[in-house]
Amino acid sequence: MRRRRNRIAKWTWLRRTTACVFLALIVLGCFQWFPWFKGSTTATRLFSLIPLADPLAAIEITFASRQLHPRLLIGAGLLLGFCLLMGPVFCGWVCPLGLLLDLNHALRERVRRLFGERRRPPVSGRIPSSIRFGVLGLVLAISLTTRMPAFQSLSPINIIGWSALEITQAARRIDAVSIASVASSYWTVLGPAALLLLAIVLTEFVSPRIWCRGFCPLGACYALVGRFAPLRVRIDPGEAGKTRCEHCERHCPMGIRVMEDYEFAGKDSIDHPDCTRCGACVDSCPRGVLKLGFTPFSSRDQCDEEIRADSSL
Amino acid sequence: MAGIGVAAGLGAGCWINKHGPSSRKPLLRPPGALPEDDLLAECIRCALCIEACPWDTLKLAGFEAGLGVGTPYLVARRMPCYLCEKYDELKCIEACPTNALSEVPDRKSVRMGVAVVDEKRCSAFIGSFCKACAEACPISGAIVLDDNRRPIVNEKVCVGCGICDHVCPTEPSSIIIRPASIGDQAPEQVS
Repeated sequence: MRRRRNRIAKWTWLRRTTACVFLALIVLGCFQWFPWFKGSTTATRLFSLIPLADPLAAIEITFASRQLHPRLLIGAGLLLGFCLLMGPVFCGWVCPLGLLLDLNHALRERVRRLFGERRRPPVSGRIPSSIRFGVLGLVLAISLTTRMPAFQSLSPINIIGWSALEITQAARRIDAVSIASVASSYWTVLGPAALLLLAIVLTEFVSPRIWCRGFCPLGACYALVGRFAPLRVRIDPGEAGKTRCEHCERHCPMGIRVMEDYEFAGKDSIDHPDCTRCGACVDSCPRGVLKLGFTPFSSRDQCDEEIRADSSL
Repeated sequence: MAGIGVAAGLGAGCWINKHGPSSRKPLLRPPGALPEDDLLAECIRCALCIEACPWDTLKLAGFEAGLGVGTPYLVARRMPCYLCEKYDELKCIEACPTNALSEVPDRKSVRMGVAVVDEKRCSAFIGSFCKACAEACPISGAIVLDDNRRPIVNEKVCVGCGICDHVCPTEPSSIIIRPASIGDQAPEQVS
């Protein structure tokens, strides 16, 4: 059997690209000559016209200020509508924290492979994903009572956005640009934030994406809305469950038991609330049993036929 | 689980309201900013105003501002607010997706703060001749020279743009802006 490492991990690279593009847009937005994208992770404006807003931030602001802000609600509505159709793709495809955690994970894989270990360990440290719905409730209740958008001040996602902004601004402002001066200016503004971020990256060593699975209230918000979105990982009912290679389970960053809970249970798609449609399982599957799409598997899926022929060599 | 979260949040919120830190470092806020508590409630920390500012005046507050991290502020000595003199509207207010920076009827009704002259340091008060602040002031009548040619701030007219602070030739500046957010407390140098 041919090793699947030869095939390009299509979805993984695609979503890393989108996340990098988002981060690059935040940086570009700092410049006057780039009017097409402005803002940070909480709210942005596209083409100086279309508002987009982080739905959790919008709800928090509404609770904290006890007022409705049309621009914010339109922005949040647009993203939630998108989520209704595409699922919580923000977490897998856009979130800069997700990108950071992914890269950290990929680096660790590299190091592990250097030491000659072949098989990925299964995702350990399962924590009930319902905890993050508790965090969501907690955050909203605090916003309502203290009149302060509590999560927005501490959100590691915002911290990355602000850092990108702050570093760009500092680099632009300081006349004699030196890395040391930019770094010291950044440290005075967001030093503690960078430490918070580091702490979250360190929790990765306990279990990958433990923050996303267990604590992120924004992820919980998207999961609530996007769980049953038509864009899903689909399972080929004819081929599923014939081997037990467990590649998909070992690669799922959210620790979803793709085989046990879905393939063997005879389901044809994955509707787990944690699924971010990242496509890691699809990329990892050596037999092309999984695909990411809006429609269920049909037996005439050409590309997957090819992969199957490939793997039988 | 969400129910437990809400209950805990309500409890924690009430506790924070009672015992939480109340003193904050006073910051000079952009034009049109709501009073400090409302600003912290409404500001979504998206930095749209900061990016919209044509003069790079606005800065992102860091963690020394506590939970106000991510909100906009300015340091007049470094770069004052020119009230978007070349433009039709105030760019930061136009960019704000909430009401944290809300519309002002005209530029003269902006109240970011009030300029305060340090009479012990100001050259005009010490004896030499200087009217840099009065000449730079964009609001007529905000800084007037008295009979001894010393600058006097008319607190009813001053918008708190900080141009006077920016141009003051003494080091450190002898005219600083008392942010509107701290009311009538003693002015404090905001770094």
